Amino acid sequence: MTTIAPPEPHAHRTSRRHKAQSKMSGRDLLAAIPGAVRKLDPRTMWRNPVMLIVEVGAAFTTILAIADPSWFSILITIWLWATVLFANAAEAVAEGRGKAQADSLRRNRQLSTAYRAIGWVAGSDIRAVVTKEVAATELAKGDIVIVKAGQAIPADGDVIEGAASIDESAITGESAPVIRESGGDRSAVTGGTRVLSDAIAIRVTQAPGAGFVDRMIALVEGANRQKTPNEIALNILLAALTLVFILVVVSIQPMAIYAKLTQGAAKDSVALTDSGLTGIVLVALLVCLIPTTIGALLSAIGIAGMDRLVQRNVLATSGRAVAAAGDVSTLLLDKTGTITFGDRQARGQRPAAGVEVEDLVACARLASLADETPEGRSIVTYVESQHLGQGDSYDLPRLRDAPGTERGDSRTARSARRCAPVDRCCFRGRVAQREPRRWGRRGGHRFLAIAGDARRGTRRR
Amino acid sequence: MTPGWAAAAFITSLVVAWAIAYRFLGAYMHRAVTSPHHLRVEKLTYRAIGINPDKEQSSAGYTRSLLALSAVSIVGVFALQRLQGHLWLADGMAGVSPRVAWNTAVSFVTNTNWQTYSGESTMTHLTQMAGLAVQNFVSAAVGIAVAVALIRGFTRRASKTLGNFWVDLTRIIVRILLPLAILGAILFLAAGMVQNLTSSIDVTTLTGAQQTLTGGPVASQEIIKNLGTNGGGFYNVNSAHPFENPNFATNWLEIFVIGLIPFSLPYVFGRMAGDRRQGFAIVGAMAAIAITSIVAVNMLELNPSGTVPSAIGSSMEGRETRLGVAGSATFAAMTTLTSTGSVTSFHDSYSGLGGSVLTLNMMLGEVAPGGVGSGLYGMLILAIITVFVAGLMVGRTPEYLGKKIGPREMKLASLYFLVTPALVLTGTAAAISSPTQRSAMLNTGGHGFSEVLYAFTSASNNNGSAFAGLATDSTWWATALGLCMALGRFIPIVLVLALAGRLARQGITPQSAGTLPTSTTLFAGMVVSVTLVTVALTFLPALALGPLAEGLF
Repeated sequence: MTTIAPPEPHAHRTSRRHKAQSKMSGRDLLAAIPGAVRKLDPRTMWRNPVMLIVEVGAAFTTILAIADPSWFSILITIWLWATVLFANAAEAVAEGRGKAQADSLRRNRQLSTAYRAIGWVAGSDIRAVVTKEVAATELAKGDIVIVKAGQAIPADGDVIEGAASIDESAITGESAPVIRESGGDRSAVTGGTRVLSDAIAIRVTQAPGAGFVDRMIALVEGANRQKTPNEIALNILLAALTLVFILVVVSIQPMAIYAKLTQGAAKDSVALTDSGLTGIVLVALLVCLIPTTIGALLSAIGIAGMDRLVQRNVLATSGRAVAAAGDVSTLLLDKTGTITFGDRQARGQRPAAGVEVEDLVACARLASLADETPEGRSIVTYVESQHLGQGDSYDLPRLRDAPGTERGDSRTARSARRCAPVDRCCFRGRVAQREPRRWGRRGGHRFLAIAGDARRGTRRR
Repeated sequence: MTPGWAAAAFITSLVVAWAIAYRFLGAYMHRAVTSPHHLRVEKLTYRAIGINPDKEQSSAGYTRSLLALSAVSIVGVFALQRLQGHLWLADGMAGVSPRVAWNTAVSFVTNTNWQTYSGESTMTHLTQMAGLAVQNFVSAAVGIAVAVALIRGFTRRASKTLGNFWVDLTRIIVRILLPLAILGAILFLAAGMVQNLTSSIDVTTLTGAQQTLTGGPVASQEIIKNLGTNGGGFYNVNSAHPFENPNFATNWLEIFVIGLIPFSLPYVFGRMAGDRRQGFAIVGAMAAIAITSIVAVNMLELNPSGTVPSAIGSSMEGRETRLGVAGSATFAAMTTLTSTGSVTSFHDSYSGLGGSVLTLNMMLGEVAPGGVGSGLYGMLILAIITVFVAGLMVGRTPEYLGKKIGPREMKLASLYFLVTPALVLTGTAAAISSPTQRSAMLNTGGHGFSEVLYAFTSASNNNGSAFAGLATDSTWWATALGLCMALGRFIPIVLVLALAGRLARQGITPQSAGTLPTSTTLFAGMVVSVTLVTVALTFLPALALGPLAEGLF
């Protein structure tokens, strides 16, 4: 299992979290109906033997109901088909939500543009070569693209000309840029990473649909959904139970004929005649006995589980991984995980008791303006994205009130220096004891505390 | 003391005696199967059959040895019955007909002991002693050996072997069954049972009628019949015969002996697993089902609902007055709960609901406490299914004693669970749908159906008790029931040994906070409900048409 944050094409890293999808709505259900009907194909149903048996039973009762229509047979038939459709709909809804997630990833993918070199020959000058702007998705294996400082690399490939520093933190978790250059074993670059300086020519080595983002999309769509060992084992148990109950139902027929035979007083009924129970009753009994509920929802549960993870920006590479996660009892970590933002980023602010949010935010921003570390930059980005309106520049009313906010004021730099970001809590007194512990309990995140009393203009570390 | 209180005291004394046996016999059996030393007589046996006792077998080797021994035994017992007229102690009896000989051979080798013959007029003393009594020991030892192999599967770590079948078999016979049988036979003799090798005696009874009394080595066979949960009686009427079960005391003793080994084996399981509470949980689940069932049968029989029993105040039809209704009911419940099949009364004569409890006892797969060995391995399979269902609820890979229960293990457990219902239901359906086979029934309607259902349930579960009222000596019945016995015994054993082999190959996952504890009351309760729910769902339709229909209408 891997935690991911989809790489974003633009320099501003804003909210890392995808919006969680809303709860299941009626519209989801309606949209799933065509999928549910399509899934009635026995070749698809074959993967779920329990429901296949229900479907076969439903088809059988349909024939019987047409041959000899009665309220009883028609109602049973309708119920059986409804059961099959419901099972399919549950799976289709879960799949549909996975698809929606994949679509949003795919949109990102299509937004990123590539500059395909035209008439590239070995040794051409990277800056002089003519390029054509195309969507990243249109690239083919073997295409040469030029990527300049600030641009995202559009596809997996090899550097064939030039050298550049590349931010690969999205994939490796390493926040320091790495150098990739043509020749040697440092020439491979991954789609989704970003060139920080210089320009390089890249030969695309992965056909569209096989790159790293595409694999993520495929995973989310559930196209490669593997069954978990537990699911396989459960399927075996369900199959065994189903077999037993088929036996039960088949063997009840001769028993019923015998019972009817020896009790002359028993009258013929819709269910029982001298030739035994009617097929409809047998099918209905079988469907009652076999574990339809678990069988119907099993695959939907698997997909829904992965969907829930995706909503939290956790990508499960397979259902197997989800099951394995349940077995984890000890977690050992070696630095940050892969395919994450490797650097710490500001995600929220929690003022201590008696501190105004605006003061805290202003102070935090000031303290970080001169801080060139990824943390410092992320605080500035966060504050500006959260507390400034669109197009509004750096002049929130309250910000101006805070000491040292006037631009150009020599105090700005000074206060910023004094307020350098710290890793540890720096409150004093009881607040210092209580507050951070409370936050720590809640999330377990690292947090960056800015100490200081903005109103009094004193700052403490 | 009212009959109800007398029954309660009877049952309580049995439960206390079993509880004591659980601790002490359990510890003794644990030493017997795990000891690294060989006795001199055992060494002689190993040399005679040509095996190296210190070389262990894989799961496949263990299975092959077991099947080979069983095949040879079936052929041997068959031949002995056919040739008995020409051998010693024939007393004028001829060889047994092929279909009865086949049925009996399979029946005794599979620990079923279904009898389509009447012992005193069909089998010579030699066949009884050298054929049937020997198989009573061997088939019981085979069952215990399989259970021990399964326990080793759970407790061994990354091991390719399960122990040596011949060593297990020899030790179980020499150290457990023989000493207990000798001790028990002496007790039985002291209590008034018959033991001789004389020919039959013609006597004039008090009313002046002529009667032939057949003596024989009864006490020695009676003890192993019950100790090894075999059930094949010396006489046709089994333990209802005054020579086989003379009085109230022998009745108590026989019931006690039936439950002795099956109830003590979970202790061996707990000790070998290194946690006695694991054994407690299993025996707790067994005892819960067993006590409930015994009490239910007693209550249903002491408060009979039929016309005649209501009129005379008790249901004495088919029972011995010297044993009483409660003594018979408790015996009937224990004999069907284990795979014994010896009877002191005719189950055919039980009330509809009482009879359905007896049938249900066998349908549970005889796991509470079940046959010697077979009860424990059956219960452990159900525990595996329980662990699996519970494991899915918490989203972890299910583990039992540190062994992961994956798809392969589930496949074997599910197949095990499939065998008996398949045999019982197809057999019953086949018999009931053919007018020729139906003519074997002596009753019609629901009761006739109960007889057929009971016969197939008894054969497939290797119980061997009969509901009576069914003539099963025709070729079709003898063959069909013989097949049910053989398949119902050996397919599960092969599956259990395969499962044991897979489990032994695994490492042992250390316990963690998320591991489902399998030594708690909660777990025992879950095992009981899984057992009841699966069986109830499978057999309820069939029960409803037979015994339940009789009892309710």
